[in-house]
Amino acid sequence: MFDIEREISDTKIRLCLDCGKCTVVCPIAQHDSEFNPRLIVQRRLTQNSSNPQDETIWECLSCYMCVERCNYRVKFPEFIHGLRAEALAEGAQLQCTRGGALQALQHLMAREELQQDRLNWLPQDIELTEQYDTIFFVGCAPYFDIVFSDLEVNTLKGVEGALRLLNRVQVPFNILANERCCGRDLLLQGDREGFLALARVNMEEFERRGVKKIITNCPECHYTFKADYAKLPGGTAIEVAHLTEVIAPLLQSGELSLGELEKRATYHDPCTLGRCSRIFDEPRHILAAVAGLDVVEMEQSREKALCCGASPWVYCGAVNREVQEQRLAQAEAVGADILVTSCPKCQIHLRCCQKSGDGTVPRVEIQDLAYLAARSLDSGGEAID
Amino acid sequence: MSRSAAHLVVFACNWDGLTCIEAAAQAGLSYPASVRVVRVSCLSRVHQGLILKAFELGAAGVMLLGCKPGNCQFDVDARYIAGEYEKARMLLRLLGLGEERLVLCHMARSDGSGFVKQVATFAQEIEQMQPAVPARA
Repeated sequence: MFDIEREISDTKIRLCLDCGKCTVVCPIAQHDSEFNPRLIVQRRLTQNSSNPQDETIWECLSCYMCVERCNYRVKFPEFIHGLRAEALAEGAQLQCTRGGALQALQHLMAREELQQDRLNWLPQDIELTEQYDTIFFVGCAPYFDIVFSDLEVNTLKGVEGALRLLNRVQVPFNILANERCCGRDLLLQGDREGFLALARVNMEEFERRGVKKIITNCPECHYTFKADYAKLPGGTAIEVAHLTEVIAPLLQSGELSLGELEKRATYHDPCTLGRCSRIFDEPRHILAAVAGLDVVEMEQSREKALCCGASPWVYCGAVNREVQEQRLAQAEAVGADILVTSCPKCQIHLRCCQKSGDGTVPRVEIQDLAYLAARSLDSGGEAID
Repeated sequence: MSRSAAHLVVFACNWDGLTCIEAAAQAGLSYPASVRVVRVSCLSRVHQGLILKAFELGAAGVMLLGCKPGNCQFDVDARYIAGEYEKARMLLRLLGLGEERLVLCHMARSDGSGFVKQVATFAQEIEQMQPAVPARA
């Protein structure tokens, strides 16, 4: 049951001072004057039942830029997720990207009896442990690479790179053959029931296998396990780490050294890894450890990093495209050959912008951080390409 | 076929595909009652999202029924559907549901008996597989 009072208290929305700083920094509001975070709140709080649904709630990117700027850290994106849940309960129809393929996949993955066949890509030389104490959570990369094959994205390369890095530093891990999507996109689009179904099957599997620690390469999985699964019964028992948190300290202590790459690169902070999980330095430490790599910062970086223009696979239009073009232009402005990111979704969205643009969109290469780091590993034969 | 048999969804193109089903009906031929026909303007309208949605809603198999090469009303032939069909098959394989649950058939106009034969064989194959959705208690 949707309870607006609970949403209000959970998100501290009454602390909103009406100052409008959220709107100033909101990437959507910059391109679409109809979209105004503050007014969405106001409209909903003064709503009577005859008011029509607020259509602009679907435009929010959940980039958390507004929370970053808000003096009271009002959880505006989470309030929006609540409004979306309310709209869905009232029968709103989602405008899904890719014809709803990702939503359908997530719902199908929530079936308990499902026995996926999702590890065919796993290279034979990757060493896995017998036990499941520590697992590497692959995420949806095997599915993304098929759904978005026309964009020529290869998010599995990032996963493969992550596994090679972990093998190199001898961090033991195993992989679950039947892991499901973490459910973050369903949560963001307001499908709380769908999210809970996925969380339930995942958590049951973690418990059955005796998982104590999860390492992920996808920032979305990382944050979902850490923040959202933790709110569910029994959800706090597992330690969650992002790959960069595991690798960066080993580089600093000298236990791992990376190879060489004569390029200029810039790091694109994924919103979820940066503003949500507060991981800003570790990815930069990894890039700094690649010899010859000239690392430059874009106009907006770290806490102020611009979103890739993503949505949880709903409502992607001209405004999103403008945000993406703006981000790619920022990378071009600093003369980067490679835009490095650690989120498969950022990769997909920016790539989509390059692919479907009119040819004037900057062609900067987009690479996964783990892939780039693993590629630079210097001992012959082990580098992947 | 028993009433409880799992549903098969046939996405039929409005032109040659649908005429096969109509011809079967006019000729009084019968095909499994589990078949649900969804009429689309052209198979190029069907994408991976729609195919997966059918499975999400409980279909045990999906048949894409379109025109023979060269007969497409819109001159797009298999250009779009071939890619989407391949993607959907790979996704079904990953999901562990099995790629055999999706078939692509190109049929000549008004081939009623051909359609009945194809769909009955498909229904039989699906019946022999593990259920995609186990019966709810």
